[in-house]
Amino acid sequence: MTDRYLSDLAMLQHGDSAFPSGAVSFSWGLEALVNRNSVNDARGVEDFLRAQLEGRWASIDRSILVHAHAAWDNLNRLVTLDGLMDSQSLATELRMGSRRIGRAFLSVHIRLGTLGAAALNENVANGMLYGHAPVVQGAIWREMGFTAEQAQLMAAHGLCSSLLGAAVRLSVIGHFDAQVIRTEITSCIAEIITTPPCKPEEAHGFTPQIEIASMLHETDQSRLFVN
Amino acid sequence: MPKSSIAMELTKTPNKTAARVGIGGPVGSGKTALIEQLIPALAERGIEVAVVTNDLVTKEDALRLQRSGLISPERVLAVEAGACPHTIIREDPSLNIAAADTLAQNFPQADVILIESGGDNLASTFSLDLVDYWIFVIDTGGGDDIPRKRGPGIIRSDLLVINKIDIGPYVGADVDSMQKEASEIREGRPVILTDCKKQTGIKELIDCLVHNVLFLDA
Ligand SMILES: Nc1nc2c(ncn2[C@@H]2O[C@H](COP(=O)(O)OP(=O)(O)O)[C@@H](O)[C@H]2O)c(=O)[nH]1
Ligand SMILES: [Mg+2]
Repeated sequence: MTDRYLSDLAMLQHGDSAFPSGAVSFSWGLEALVNRNSVNDARGVEDFLRAQLEGRWASIDRSILVHAHAAWDNLNRLVTLDGLMDSQSLATELRMGSRRIGRAFLSVHIRLGTLGAAALNENVANGMLYGHAPVVQGAIWREMGFTAEQAQLMAAHGLCSSLLGAAVRLSVIGHFDAQVIRTEITSCIAEIITTPPCKPEEAHGFTPQIEIASMLHETDQSRLFVN
Repeated sequence: MPKSSIAMELTKTPNKTAARVGIGGPVGSGKTALIEQLIPALAERGIEVAVVTNDLVTKEDALRLQRSGLISPERVLAVEAGACPHTIIREDPSLNIAAADTLAQNFPQADVILIESGGDNLASTFSLDLVDYWIFVIDTGGGDDIPRKRGPGIIRSDLLVINKIDIGPYVGADVDSMQKEASEIREGRPVILTDCKKQTGIKELIDCLVHNVLFLDA
């Protein structure tokens, strides 16, 4: 039982929004949608979150994450997964955002002394890897002993927390709405993780409104968020 | 994990050579103006600089520095704050750390990386893991009661700068009493008066950095 507690507690620590991840600066398209009034209430935020999870995360990030978790010690495979992640991210800010989150993740884990972080970071510095978030998270979390399920739970929870946090800071919803939406979305996350992930070569997403908004965000005058 | 192994990893992190100096303080107190003064003054002493800005809403400060002609544009990186200027220097400084790491990697010869906060209230502080030294900038225009209002920036920063001393007389701010009160509260930690328009106090500020951060006069 103690092992189980240790493992659960480690997951709470590394999946917590208090863990420095840089996520606070990212809205993944939400800021642009709010600025254009395409999202302006709790319903809109929930739809946005579902679209991110079902239309993108489930079929791209998660697939790459799970396969990076399995290939944690195989640099060539990680390079391939990293490239697939890059090519599945059409909008520049979404693509660069995932790279930046991945690099920040490595910077933090180097300082925490996590095994494997320095080596992966070297491969980012020398241009072998872009360092996309799902790739480095999959590999490092595996190195730390997390299961593939745990890695998915942490990643999905982290995405929800940061998107809902962004919605609160953009003043579209309040804290209580955020928690109601988070509760509503829980079964959606569980369902996604229950189905086997697609092959990374078959990774696909369809969130056109979010991607277009993200492209418009590149030249928006007012930008509180990275993307 | 034993402490020693963490320490060993720490020495391997990129850029333990370039000192990281945080510049915080309220919006408009003159943080960017101070950096514009510091860059050429540091260069004159052969000290190489790179800068991370934390603009709140735009990339205004980063662009201002990149276009200033004072520093090559690729030495300036902007980090977005997601509406939380204090969060990205205090609770979650990971993007700032990553930006500073990138600058250190790209410019290994840099001696100092200045990190300008997006501008915040008197309670904002820098994470000890982000910076080696922390400057807090207030200005006479904010009122001469600011030092009395205290707050961690005023009390605990490594160096307190009271800027815009030139406009003190026009806003009814008693600069001398500001300095006196600040020094009393800070128990000996340095307070420097500056006027970025006339470069007053800049030499003193550089001396302070050289002595306390860069250790170049040892
Ligand atoms: N008179 C005077 N104006 C200053 C001084 N330092 C900065 N300013 C002006 O104060 C305004 C805000 O300065 P800025 O550096 O952008 O502040 P920041 O928001 O702290 O970076 C600008 O208009 C500056 O020109 C100073 O020492 N004297
Ligand atoms: Mg500024």
